[in-house]
Amino acid sequence: MAQKFEQLPEELQLATSAHVKYIQSLDTRKDEYGYWLTEHLRLNGLYWGLTALHLLGHPDALPRDETINFVLSCQHDSGGFGAAPGHDAHMLSTVSAVQILATVDALDELDARGKGRLQVGKFIANLQNPETGTFAGDEWGEEDTRFLYGAFNALSLLGLLHLIDVDKAVHHVAACANFDGGYGVSPGAESHAGQIFTCVAALTIAGRQDLIDKERLGRWLSERQVAGGGLNGRPEKKEDVCYSWWVLSSLEMIGKTHWIDRDRLAAFILRCQDPENGGISDRPGDMVDVWHTVFGIAGLSLLKYPGLEPVDEVYCMPKAVTARVLGR
Amino acid sequence: MPPSKKGGGKGKASQASTPPPPPPLATTTTAAEDKVTSQGGATTGKPPSKESDDESDSAIGPVLPSSSTAAPTDPLPATAALPEPRTVLERTRARFAAARPYEARLIFGSRQPPPTLAEPEEPGPGLGGLKDLEPRERAAWLATRIAARIARRPALSATTTTGGAGAAELARVACGGGAKTVREAWKLVNEGSVPLRAAGEKQLLGAATAPTPASTGIARRRREGASSRGEPAPAGSLEARTIAAAEARWERRVRLACLLAESRCFRAQRERETRGVRDDRTGEPAVVTEREVVEDKRRRLEIAALRRDMAAHGSGPASRAAGKIASNPDWDDVVPVVLEEPAGALASIAYPADYAEAMSYLRAVMKANEHSERCLWLTEHIINMNASHYTVWLYRAAILFALEKPIAEEIEWLNEIALANLKNYQIWHHRHLLVENHFPSIAADPAAVAAFAASERRFLERILAEDTKNYHVWSYRSYLANKLGLFSDADELASVERMIDDDVRNNSAWSHRFFLVFSHPDRATPGAAATEPDPKAPPEMVDREVAYAQAKIRLAPQNQSPWSYLRGVLVKGGRKLGEAEGFAREFVTGLGKGEDEEDVTSTHALDLLADIYAEQGRKEEADLCLQRLGQKWDRIRLGYWEWRRRGLGTEAAAA
Repeated sequence: MAQKFEQLPEELQLATSAHVKYIQSLDTRKDEYGYWLTEHLRLNGLYWGLTALHLLGHPDALPRDETINFVLSCQHDSGGFGAAPGHDAHMLSTVSAVQILATVDALDELDARGKGRLQVGKFIANLQNPETGTFAGDEWGEEDTRFLYGAFNALSLLGLLHLIDVDKAVHHVAACANFDGGYGVSPGAESHAGQIFTCVAALTIAGRQDLIDKERLGRWLSERQVAGGGLNGRPEKKEDVCYSWWVLSSLEMIGKTHWIDRDRLAAFILRCQDPENGGISDRPGDMVDVWHTVFGIAGLSLLKYPGLEPVDEVYCMPKAVTARVLGR
Repeated sequence: MPPSKKGGGKGKASQASTPPPPPPLATTTTAAEDKVTSQGGATTGKPPSKESDDESDSAIGPVLPSSSTAAPTDPLPATAALPEPRTVLERTRARFAAARPYEARLIFGSRQPPPTLAEPEEPGPGLGGLKDLEPRERAAWLATRIAARIARRPALSATTTTGGAGAAELARVACGGGAKTVREAWKLVNEGSVPLRAAGEKQLLGAATAPTPASTGIARRRREGASSRGEPAPAGSLEARTIAAAEARWERRVRLACLLAESRCFRAQRERETRGVRDDRTGEPAVVTEREVVEDKRRRLEIAALRRDMAAHGSGPASRAAGKIASNPDWDDVVPVVLEEPAGALASIAYPADYAEAMSYLRAVMKANEHSERCLWLTEHIINMNASHYTVWLYRAAILFALEKPIAEEIEWLNEIALANLKNYQIWHHRHLLVENHFPSIAADPAAVAAFAASERRFLERILAEDTKNYHVWSYRSYLANKLGLFSDADELASVERMIDDDVRNNSAWSHRFFLVFSHPDRATPGAAATEPDPKAPPEMVDREVAYAQAKIRLAPQNQSPWSYLRGVLVKGGRKLGEAEGFAREFVTGLGKGEDEEDVTSTHALDLLADIYAEQGRKEEADLCLQRLGQKWDRIRLGYWEWRRRGLGTEAAAA
């Protein structure tokens, strides 16, 4: 596979240093309208940027102490984390917080300076719906398999998976399986690559891949690749770099990555980068953002692009980190 | 009107000299000159001796130098130049000053350097008033006042030069004096090229102070203070805006108004189409073309962007309120919670002032858990600036429920926000909360439920017309179908069918159809898995769905959705895949017979045939299908087709 990448033309090489600079600059764009419009994603954005930097082999490009301080400043007494200081606690930002601290090897700061690991675990566990087994994002009850996966992800990193009813949650995921082999946001909803990732990853963490019809799912996932080499999220939709992660990692988890043309996918991802200013966009020529940057790089890592750190397909974090934390 | 001085001029020995230019007014002044009347009356100086053959002149104490003694007047002196205008208020003043040179001096004074906007002043010498004017300037000022007065009454001005009773009448009206005075006035004005039209007082003083009938003129201006004397306009007000910003704002407002009007027309037309209204003139049914739909979508995106822009830059009614929550007495009792950033924050937030202010008030009232109308307004205000802030939505829901607001109105408002923010999760969760809250009150009334379902469906159709595959909308739709029990609702099924008719490639519509059909309470096992056979599914229904899928496949054989649907239906009905063999072969001819003969119009058909043959133990035929797929018809998935071949366990596959 490595030789194939070397055969790619000059302009289709990964512009590592440009991407690093781009991510480092994100925090400084405070005068841009879009910056403050996305403050409700701030902690998530930090997770995306940090993960991308680690995969690019630049783990120190963001200052560690400031990172930890910022994360802790988002924590509430309940144990949960908001997206930014002063924002209400939410599952998604809590998961990002745990992932960030794990990545910079600072989970012990939760006990030292935060509200404690257990408190975080309790915040997450309280969001489980005792009847259906699925998870809400916050006390207001929006339910989505993304939150279920987030709970499994964070609690397993904290070693607190026993706080929740794993079986019930697994049962809920199984109920989201659709006639076409995919999974939706809730039972009966349309199959969607993003939701598929959350369901498959959740089942993987729970050790219940036996519930997955891997051939049918793999078939559905392989059909996501379009002629240009990129992947879409649903039939007859446009290719988008972030699906390079959602679809590819799902294929990786069920051992079917060879069911798509990996070279063509890699070439597509590389075409979506901005080699001068850094960052990756959803498709070639569009505006870049940190979301697509991390998922494009993670996709390339799964495709074993040379020079990238291996990524954990279940956690979307560096494999070195999950190995350290989970002994995987 | 200047006070008349009886016998005030004629015959009195003039102590005023009458040297050639500039012809002075009498320099002796009386105490009366210091008085400033509320009419803005002029002081009167003693006139130089003048010829007067006009009796009425004597009544006023003419104040103008007679034309015979007057030397050619200098052009009117330039006003003290004000600095190059930067804000709207400065521009207004500059225009005022240009148009009414002496008025400006009267108001702002003749000090050098001219007053700046930053310095408030106390009244005092050199700060305005007639006595700051040179006598010649005073005369010129009077002349402009008289001429302007006449200019405002065009009907009268026609008589000016004709003399006689009309002229006298005009003169009396214009200046309380004689026609000769008027003629002098015109002479001065014409020679000085003074403009007769100028910005009004109200514009000068700003919208904040409206003139009242009792107060006019210089004295009032002095009393009003601030902006009349060069103080800066209050920050955030119209007057403080820079010219560039004001013009940009005006453009935005005009553009927004146009877009809103166009969008309204479009919606009206769409409404007519939905109701099947016919055009009055042509009798043709109203129709909305696809291009119009696309155009309106683009229009509404621009409207949302403009509104956001205008709110952020403090230009527009919503945000005229915005920068001024603090100055709104309604909010006096609330102490805003301003966010303190930790020093050197890694990902610190910077907001535009309006958003920052609104958020700090939001934090305060959320902390106090206040549920009131003003808080409701605040949430709407923030949502208009940033519809993605999920906390605001949750708080809004809490307020709505606490105040027991009617759901129908909220949904109307939410519809517009949804149309302008198609990728937004929170809007749909908000709707979900509204339905959860509202449903118990109508649950026992089938007619009310049906009506609600119908109105929701109308909106869903509308928004799906903008974005046919929007995942949030379809997820909500499946939630609603479950909540309201729409599985047996013929209208719901018909609506989905229409979407498939419009675009056979709409995977969301296919998915929703499957959900509706196979969850029908009479024809499905509750909680049955989508991937398992359901004995309760009636065979006729399964047949119907198979036929439906096949009909749609024929329209676009390479379209994946109906192929998945077909397989799903066969599984649900507990049928063998082989039932579709004849159908699948419609799309494959001459397989393996060489380039010229082989034709495949659907890779999904070939895929299905491979499964069918494998199901029937016809391994060689299955292998051929898979080979041809990997070699030619679907090369990008070679890895998958090869894996399938290996799974057959044939000799050829193992090779």
